[in-house]
Amino acid sequence: MMKKTIISVGLALLIAGCSASQPEKPMSLKEQYEAALARTQAAVEKAASMEGEWRDIRWKKSKKRYLPKAIEAAKAGDYEKALKLLSIAEFQAEMGYKQAMAEKNAGPHLYGL
Amino acid sequence: MRKIATLLLSAGLVASATTAIASSPKEDLEKFRAYFEQKFPGLQLDDFGNGAYALDADKRMQWEAMEEFPPYDEFVDKGREIWEKPFKNGKSFADCFGKDPSKVRVRYPHWDAKTKQVVTLEGDINKCLKENGEKPFKWKKGPIAWLSAFFGYEARGQKINVVIPDDPDAIKAYEHGKHFFYAKRGQLNMACADCHVKYPGHFIRGNLLSPALGQVTHFPVYRAKWAKKSKDGDGLGTLHRRYGGCNKQVRARPFKAQSKVYRDLEFFHQYMSNGLTINAPGYRE
Ligand code: HEC
Repeated sequence: MMKKTIISVGLALLIAGCSASQPEKPMSLKEQYEAALARTQAAVEKAASMEGEWRDIRWKKSKKRYLPKAIEAAKAGDYEKALKLLSIAEFQAEMGYKQAMAEKNAGPHLYGL
Repeated sequence: MRKIATLLLSAGLVASATTAIASSPKEDLEKFRAYFEQKFPGLQLDDFGNGAYALDADKRMQWEAMEEFPPYDEFVDKGREIWEKPFKNGKSFADCFGKDPSKVRVRYPHWDAKTKQVVTLEGDINKCLKENGEKPFKWKKGPIAWLSAFFGYEARGQKINVVIPDDPDAIKAYEHGKHFFYAKRGQLNMACADCHVKYPGHFIRGNLLSPALGQVTHFPVYRAKWAKKSKDGDGLGTLHRRYGGCNKQVRARPFKAQSKVYRDLEFFHQYMSNGLTINAPGYRE
């Protein structure tokens, strides 16, 4: 009885291990882009909900506009460029959110007032 | 037992930390003013309304020369024309604001108990237009700034007198604006208060930073920089235009003029200058 359990657990682990280490089909650049885009968009909304969005992510008058430019690059088929721009946008969105969280208790007391 | 004691103790700490934050508007105002008076002991209260020019003698001389033939005069006149011109329905701004244009500026910004929001002068200008079937003005410059500058000009000599009513929703709006003012933001991680409370009197990229006290008395402002950017030398812009510029500088995304964020910020920001004399419009670099 005991032995059987050990074996079956072992087997299960083995199977799990195999399927985890065996890469399913590698993600295409397009798929990577789509995943990164969804992540970035969510991160920007999260930062914006805390009034923490930075200037250069998507604001229409920014010269950088990393997010819309990533989308443009992807439309033109340049997924590598799109992924690079998205990684900046996602980082900035996450930082904006973290900053807003860190500033939750900001107030005059911090200025000796 | 000891665990309970520590719990209680930490709860006490938390409570005292929050009471440090939750001061009344009146207490905020007293500390704010005392801070600037100590920082700049040579200045009279109304000197603060002259912004950076109160802090630098050379700049002040240039500025006074400029104010002798002020470049904003023609735009104040345009504001007066807008005030006098009737709407298509025969009514006019006087039907919204009352007959005396010198009594308008001091009523703003104010809390509206019915709609539960901060009402600004510019907001009411466009509301008046819409209610009378006219097309509203753009928010940051042009006709809205001319008319607002005319109201400011007519109100010269009166004192800013923002009332924060004892209404939880009004306090919430005030606290929101206050938090916005003190919270660091943008890629450069700076708060309004960093530049205009901590460092006024210092230069940043060639600009002398003005103290937050008195910043609102001369708005809408005529800026040489904005005049250069416009086709016809119109350098007038509203307070919310300036807010947007200051958010951009620290690489934060600016909010829309007249958004709730900026109206709440204005509620706090103008309240902090209560008692200072209106000297709008003003000239600035
Ligand atoms: C990185 C520094 C910096 C930050 C942060 C900053 N400002 Fe400014 N601000 C300036 C500079 C520079 C000027 C132009 C010089 C002056 O008048 O202080 C200016 C001007 C102004 C003026 C016009 C003053 C006048 O006399 O006409 C107002 C009002 C103002 N800022 C409000 C704000 C508010 C509100 C915030 C926060 C949303 C803010 N600023 C954040 C740098 C900053």
